[in-house]
Amino acid sequence: MTKRAFACVVVLITAASTPLTAHLSPLTLQDTTRGKAVYVKWCAGCHGDGGAGDGPSAAHMLPRPRNFTGAIYKIRSTASGQLPTDADLMRAIDEGLPGSAMPAWKGRLSDGERRDVAAYIKTFSSFFADTSQHVAALKFSSAPGGGTDPSALKEGRRFYEDSIHCNKCHGDEGRGDGPSAPTLKDDAGFPIYAADLHQNWRFRGGGTVEDIYRRLRTGLDGTPMPSFSDLIEQKFLTDEQLWRLAQYVRSLSPPGAPEVRDVIHAPQIAGTVPVSPDDSVWARVSRYWFPLVGQVIRKARWFAPAVSGVWVQAVYDSKTVALRVSWDDRTQSPDTAWLKFEQRILETVAADDSAPPLQAEPWPDQLAVQFPRHIPDGMERPYFLMGSETDPVYQWRWTSRPRKSVAGLARSIERFDTLPGALAGEASFDHGEWRLVFTRALATPDTANEVQLEPGRAIPMAFFAWDGSSGEHGSRMAVSTWYFLALDRPTPPGVFISPVLAMVVTLGLGLVVVRRAQRRGAARAGV
Amino acid sequence: MSSPLRPAIRRYAEHPFWQAVGILLLAYIVVVGVVPILPGSAIVPKSVVLQYMITVLVGVLIYVSDNEERWRQFKEPIQAVLVEPRLKVVRAVVVAGVTALVGLVAYGQVKTTVAAPPNLRSIHPAPPAEITFRGKTITLTGLENPLRRYPDSLPSYLAEGKRVYYQNCLPCHGDHLDGQGHFAPGFNPLPANFQDNGTIAQLTESFVFWRVAKGGPGLPREGTPWNSAMPVWEDFLTEREIWSVILFLYEQTGWTPRTWEKSVSGEK
Repeated sequence: MTKRAFACVVVLITAASTPLTAHLSPLTLQDTTRGKAVYVKWCAGCHGDGGAGDGPSAAHMLPRPRNFTGAIYKIRSTASGQLPTDADLMRAIDEGLPGSAMPAWKGRLSDGERRDVAAYIKTFSSFFADTSQHVAALKFSSAPGGGTDPSALKEGRRFYEDSIHCNKCHGDEGRGDGPSAPTLKDDAGFPIYAADLHQNWRFRGGGTVEDIYRRLRTGLDGTPMPSFSDLIEQKFLTDEQLWRLAQYVRSLSPPGAPEVRDVIHAPQIAGTVPVSPDDSVWARVSRYWFPLVGQVIRKARWFAPAVSGVWVQAVYDSKTVALRVSWDDRTQSPDTAWLKFEQRILETVAADDSAPPLQAEPWPDQLAVQFPRHIPDGMERPYFLMGSETDPVYQWRWTSRPRKSVAGLARSIERFDTLPGALAGEASFDHGEWRLVFTRALATPDTANEVQLEPGRAIPMAFFAWDGSSGEHGSRMAVSTWYFLALDRPTPPGVFISPVLAMVVTLGLGLVVVRRAQRRGAARAGV
Repeated sequence: MSSPLRPAIRRYAEHPFWQAVGILLLAYIVVVGVVPILPGSAIVPKSVVLQYMITVLVGVLIYVSDNEERWRQFKEPIQAVLVEPRLKVVRAVVVAGVTALVGLVAYGQVKTTVAAPPNLRSIHPAPPAEITFRGKTITLTGLENPLRRYPDSLPSYLAEGKRVYYQNCLPCHGDHLDGQGHFAPGFNPLPANFQDNGTIAQLTESFVFWRVAKGGPGLPREGTPWNSAMPVWEDFLTEREIWSVILFLYEQTGWTPRTWEKSVSGEK
């Protein structure tokens, strides 16, 4: 055997054996003793020492941390009712579960630690020890092309509403507001929201078309989300049609996860600003995403905010500014159909003052936009969380019932005093989305308390949202940090003079340099 | 395919002009792309990038003009672009490109955009000598974690600290104590990263006690108290719970607190 042939054989053997060992449940070779050490240090705080999903932080979380003793996993590549593959477990550990408190551990724990801990997690349930269970990933086809064509999306939409009735839970427009949504519980009896399909960056198993298709094939075990694989087996729909459904669901979210920018740029428009949230002007104005998180700073804290963020747009004319805030909310609160769901939330999410749990009440939805009373000259501004006694903030507050908008001063979370000045607010609710437009004069008489909105300045701004049907009221809310509103001055034509001048001078100089070099070159050649 | 290319590549690699271009490109990539990903650094501001690039350019010019032959070689391609009839198109593109670039830069300079004001913030402002904790005066200067005086009870204090952390600190400071909890993206400044060598590793436990007890609103002005989402924990936790959670922070990250006697930073 020549050296080269020998090398070839070695390469072939290595190439063939690598996928083979990867296929043979490699986690059984891992060290569960080391895995236990990693688990106790990094996982038990949420998942509990015994793996029952009952660590000290669990009562603050919705969704709750996974209970490993039942071996029921939402995000799998296996058929409904089956155990997950090792790769499924590793994916959850490595990438985390977006939209929940579970972080991505890749880069935080070493490869070995992550594999050891996955092996240890399997020891919490005897199901994994049962070798008669053959855990195998389903064979998935790949996505058919043309997934963003109108005809494909239309077909996906047909299955969404007619054949499979996704809209029963996920709602007609996919914001998790279907008629069955308020009845949903997981297998452990905890309330569970039907996913808002417009926020794919929060999908636990990932937001790509492939991820969505897999969830449709495997279902989310332990939740009301079923698997639709049997419909293909029964020839009720084809595999391609299920892909079309996945492509339709994907089309409901923006192409990429929204990027958070500090400054909302509001263009000046000719004529008057739109007062209606459904005015066609808004379709032409850039929108900005601001994430909201739970108010976990002052008593009573709130760890399960229902509104994950707001989209904001702004325009102004010579006298008035219009600010449009839109956000996903499953209900037009108060909604009696959601009272039981609200009660379950209040019983599930621990809070500072909730022993015994609060009684569900028909709270309204609310939204607040906050400014300082004056545009600051330096960096100092009022406390972002609704100001203080000594430095109050100026806020616009809207409630869904009674439907009204008021302006006022907040001196803390607890204290809000309305001001007499006029503030117009017009809201519409459409299939799980609130769209609200506030309009106010740029300049007002009460310059001591009401921010004067000057073009060309960075005006600090913050947002707060409450979903009444999730039990949110008072300090139980979603909050943001300070961002900025800029009423952009239109670019005056004079601005173009100096760049044009600079370009003319540069071009002239360039031509002179070329001409001189050529003349010199020609002279040299002549000599 | 590759063999006839190789001499050409070498010709470029050994030519002073293309060496200069390569060095400038490399410097730009390092300043803009590599420096920000180094631990403890941030994105380099545009004006600083410009300064770096000018410095590199001056260095390169000194190098190429240092030697007569090198200088002649360096000028060759420039001269060729200006003169050679066959490079007419290149010449036109260069002149037009430079003109357009100057126009863009000039427009960028005069155009007014509103940007967020710079947020200059002292990350570890000077602590007070003493604080009032729920009506009790605590002297911070020289103070060590009192729980460390009871080594036999440390396991129970650590268990308490762990419980306190997971029930209170986790949403912002995160499972890995790296300031990347699931609520962290909603706040600015971002929650402190305890794994980083610039936070608790640099601090005494009494400093950490002050920051935990008094939170964002207790910061001096240079710490931008109006932005910090850190709660005033004396409203939620007892003195012992705070010392316990501080023990847990150091235990879980492996840092040792800075001590008063020696004032040396912790080692991992």
